[in-house]
Amino acid sequence: MRKLLEFLVRKRHWFLFVLLEIISFTLIYRDHAYQRNVMFSSANVITGYVSSVSGYITSYLNLREINRELLERNGQLEMELLKLQDQLEVMQADTVLFTGFVADSIEHFPYSFIMADVVNNSVTHLSNYITINKGRKEGVEPDMGVVSERGVVGIVSTVSDHFSVVIPLLNPKFRLSCKVLGSSYFGTLGWNGRDARFANLDELPRHVEFEKGDTIVTSGYSAVFPAGIVVGNVVDYEKQHDDNFYSLKVELATNFQALNNVRIIKNYRQAEQKHLEQEAKKND
Amino acid sequence: MINNILRGLIYFVVLVLIQVLILNNIHFLRIATPFLYLYFILKMAVGTSRMNVIFLSFLIGLVIDMFSNTSGMHAAACTFVGFIRQWLIFFFMGKDLPEDMSPSYRTFGYGGFLRYTSAFVVIHHIALFAIESLTFFDSLFLAIRIGASAITTILLISAIEALNIGVQKGGD
Repeated sequence: MRKLLEFLVRKRHWFLFVLLEIISFTLIYRDHAYQRNVMFSSANVITGYVSSVSGYITSYLNLREINRELLERNGQLEMELLKLQDQLEVMQADTVLFTGFVADSIEHFPYSFIMADVVNNSVTHLSNYITINKGRKEGVEPDMGVVSERGVVGIVSTVSDHFSVVIPLLNPKFRLSCKVLGSSYFGTLGWNGRDARFANLDELPRHVEFEKGDTIVTSGYSAVFPAGIVVGNVVDYEKQHDDNFYSLKVELATNFQALNNVRIIKNYRQAEQKHLEQEAKKND
Repeated sequence: MINNILRGLIYFVVLVLIQVLILNNIHFLRIATPFLYLYFILKMAVGTSRMNVIFLSFLIGLVIDMFSNTSGMHAAACTFVGFIRQWLIFFFMGKDLPEDMSPSYRTFGYGGFLRYTSAFVVIHHIALFAIESLTFFDSLFLAIRIGASAITTILLISAIEALNIGVQKGGD
């Protein structure tokens, strides 16, 4: 008995080793679940604070580029506004006032934006994450969509009081339903784990017509993103092994390596849609 | 003794900050990221009890995980290298070393320290990237990533160690 005890005491580092490895792997496997533990992620108070200080400093480095992008975007939006105003005027001139349209204009647009700064970002890992400086106190909740000035960024996964962790397109866990602009067939966009500039759009039916350079947009089927948000451009395509589908190589519109400001999309009807979908599945 | 603990603490904080604020943003040619924080585990005195080595390795891995959103991966890989560290030292340098000796160019010799560092870094990187690819497997790319990151880590550690020696000589 004594010898056994002595043996155990002498080999106690083995137990510590096994215990710590079990803790680590528990963390890794829990992390596979979509919802993550806030304490061990970059959304906790200390890591969030350190990251936001460094993010604050580095955010000055790209100001010129960001400014140019905002001006461009501003110009585009102004053009769009003018076009729409123009169309509206033509329509108003064309139509006799018809009360049937009134209900439409009262219809509330169900999305709103929350602006946030990126405080931590990675593009080199296989599973990348982005931390942003808005959290539950500002109205951010899990499952909200995140976009940049250029296009889709990702989806909110974990939220603490002042920070949130976003799963970006550059993470195999995140798959996004997308379509080629102008067609109505959709496929699934996922990252191949190699290059932060490209992703693949799979399962697009063979008979969909498109060309290199065509724009890929969100399909709007997920309740996370509204339809028609830019994701990227087609740069290459090939037949998938089962020959009935195309696999498209998509150059992502968002530049993940220089990401500074993002907008979180709040969908007032997301809960309602999800609830309804779950009800429908339950009845199966 | 107090001196050693204080130095360890400073190493810990400085290396973690360098790693998460600077090195985690480096991805040379889109594949290689140096993991300099291993220097902390490498430099612990030879006589440090294995319990302490394993626990401190786990701790630094966990802190790095918190900052880089890789919960558990660095912790698992670091615990493993912390566990086998003593065998590596015995294997490369033999068993009769003074307890308070800390691995460096001067104590292990240039060749000895480089061999020890290389074996240590390569084992850590294989463990780390293998754990990471549990979610996503791509063998060729995995091998390239391990190789490239290991080379940058080893180069960086040997450079820092050379500077360290310079500082110590100047201070003595």
